[in-house]
Amino acid sequence: MPDMVTRTLRLTAPPDTVDTVHDLLDSVWGSVPDLSARDRMSLETAIIELTANVIQHANRGQGVHATLTVIAYQDRLEATLSDSGEVDHVDLEGREMPEADALAESGRGIPLMKALVDTVEHRRVDGFNHWTLVRGREAPDTDRSSTRGMPSVSITGVIDEMARQRALEELGILDTSPEERFDRVTRLAKSLFGVQSAAINLIDGDRQWAKSVAGDAVVEMPRESSVCTDTIMGDDTLVVPELTADPAYADRAQDGLINFYAGHPLYAATGERIGAFCIYDPRPRAFTEREQAMLRDLASWVQQELSVSQELSRAAEVQQGLLPSKMLSMPGWDIAGFCQPARAVGGDFYDWYPVGEGAAITLADTMGKGIAAAIIAATVRAVLRSAARFGDVTGAVNLAAASLNADLDTTGLFVTLFHARVDMDSGEVTFVDAGHGLTVIARTDGTIERLRSHSPPLGVDIDTEWEEQTITLEPGDTLVAASDGVLDLYDGSLDGLDRVAALALLASSSQEVVDALRTRARGTSSDDVTVVVVRRDD
Amino acid sequence: MDISIIPHPQGVTEISVSGRLNMVTAARVREAIQSAVDDNRPRVAITLEQVVFLDSSGLGALIAGMKTAREAGGDVRLVKPTEQVELVLELTNMAGVLRSFDSVESAYADA
Repeated sequence: MPDMVTRTLRLTAPPDTVDTVHDLLDSVWGSVPDLSARDRMSLETAIIELTANVIQHANRGQGVHATLTVIAYQDRLEATLSDSGEVDHVDLEGREMPEADALAESGRGIPLMKALVDTVEHRRVDGFNHWTLVRGREAPDTDRSSTRGMPSVSITGVIDEMARQRALEELGILDTSPEERFDRVTRLAKSLFGVQSAAINLIDGDRQWAKSVAGDAVVEMPRESSVCTDTIMGDDTLVVPELTADPAYADRAQDGLINFYAGHPLYAATGERIGAFCIYDPRPRAFTEREQAMLRDLASWVQQELSVSQELSRAAEVQQGLLPSKMLSMPGWDIAGFCQPARAVGGDFYDWYPVGEGAAITLADTMGKGIAAAIIAATVRAVLRSAARFGDVTGAVNLAAASLNADLDTTGLFVTLFHARVDMDSGEVTFVDAGHGLTVIARTDGTIERLRSHSPPLGVDIDTEWEEQTITLEPGDTLVAASDGVLDLYDGSLDGLDRVAALALLASSSQEVVDALRTRARGTSSDDVTVVVVRRDD
Repeated sequence: MDISIIPHPQGVTEISVSGRLNMVTAARVREAIQSAVDDNRPRVAITLEQVVFLDSSGLGALIAGMKTAREAGGDVRLVKPTEQVELVLELTNMAGVLRSFDSVESAYADA
């Protein structure tokens, strides 16, 4: 009989329901044969009440994601549910059981749950609700008074597993495509150690999933068949020379696949052990100290690649957060935009915000890609935003250019920019185009006008006089500003811009144009793709 | 969950439920009781011998059905609740209102 039995389930409702949870619980009960019927039905009922409550109320009918972990210890049962529900306050204390005679049809769930377990705890952390239920087990050989009603001391175990799972999910690597930067390490390990398989395995809930495999390594398997799940219990390299000779591992050996195993844990940036870098082979073998040191070196290489993923995914979140999330409420106008970086982060951005009796619209493209371009893009955005409060279009671009010049000079980067003010009532658009030249107007009569650029990009020449131009959008006209990545969605020439303008003529809203380009850009683009569509209503 | 409806003498309708009676299946039990009441057979006996799980949503359906049946001059009575069902009835103080019996016959022996 193991000291503890753990099961974890991730559910997304819809489509998952409480029945999904029942199925998980069946697998827990099957592994704890000495559990009393009363304990089993009490915890099951409490968990179902909690889950039903989360599914029904959490997001006012929106979907909800949740992770449920159930641990059966010898003296108690613990269940932790973490959910993404918006509701951040549940009145656990105040909920009393409705009077029986009142025949209320609802309101019994929470009081029933409280009656079934010893402690119910709710905490809200980082936008997630964490619920913990603890019930001391009825067992003749344990002193019940010592566990009943006591706050659980080993909730840490559950929280650790939860934190581990969160850290893994935040990495955003699960179920992504193979990447050469990982595959080269597994390939190298396979040939270096002369083994049949090498893998980067991540322990995800109740399964093991491999980010990279070489040889015959298995991409996905149940956690209970995984050896790496033992590796992540500690910080040391785990070596099992012959699985079949070791009672702890014998049932995880597989003919023709795995009988020798060596693995080293992999960590999230916050320190949680999320998986292992491992090699395995069907033939038993010894593994020397020197080989272990080499395995650790390779594991730390994988570790660095993982950290890059993590930092980039954080950076991508920050950058997406800098794009305007709200629609501009400008009566008579319809504005939409999107930005899809070729890598996790990119040098393109668009922006809009109300200014006077209208709006400022910006689309910029930093030459270069990746983090350096992203940092400059964020700076351009901030400088233009503050400059826009003080001057006209030319003034704002002048100020931005002057304050960025030194930075652009140092980095050798330059920025093409379309920056405009739209007057809501007259339809007049005043703009500076700094070397961008990828703005087009689609008129209701079917004509398409490209706006020409007469000025160089920012960062090329400090003495540039920015030339301000003015055009007027009549009712029904659409202005489209794009980055050069949009041209690549067509044949790469400027004709692509006319194709986008033609699209704008056919579309009934700015969002339609954006959606069409987004679909076209999906998965194919090698450059950042950014577009802003400004349409004056008929 | 499976539901079968079995007519008994003296206008008693047996609704035999098996499986889980929870938020997923509660509506179907409620509808089954409603249809018995609509057929002018509001004396309902719910056989729970095969119900492995009842939660507060399922209980809510039984209470709603009981109210409908009582308004039509009948009742909802439970037959052979399992241990888990009894636990829920006790802890919600509903055992005295939704009464349990050993058989469909004894459920309406007072009539």
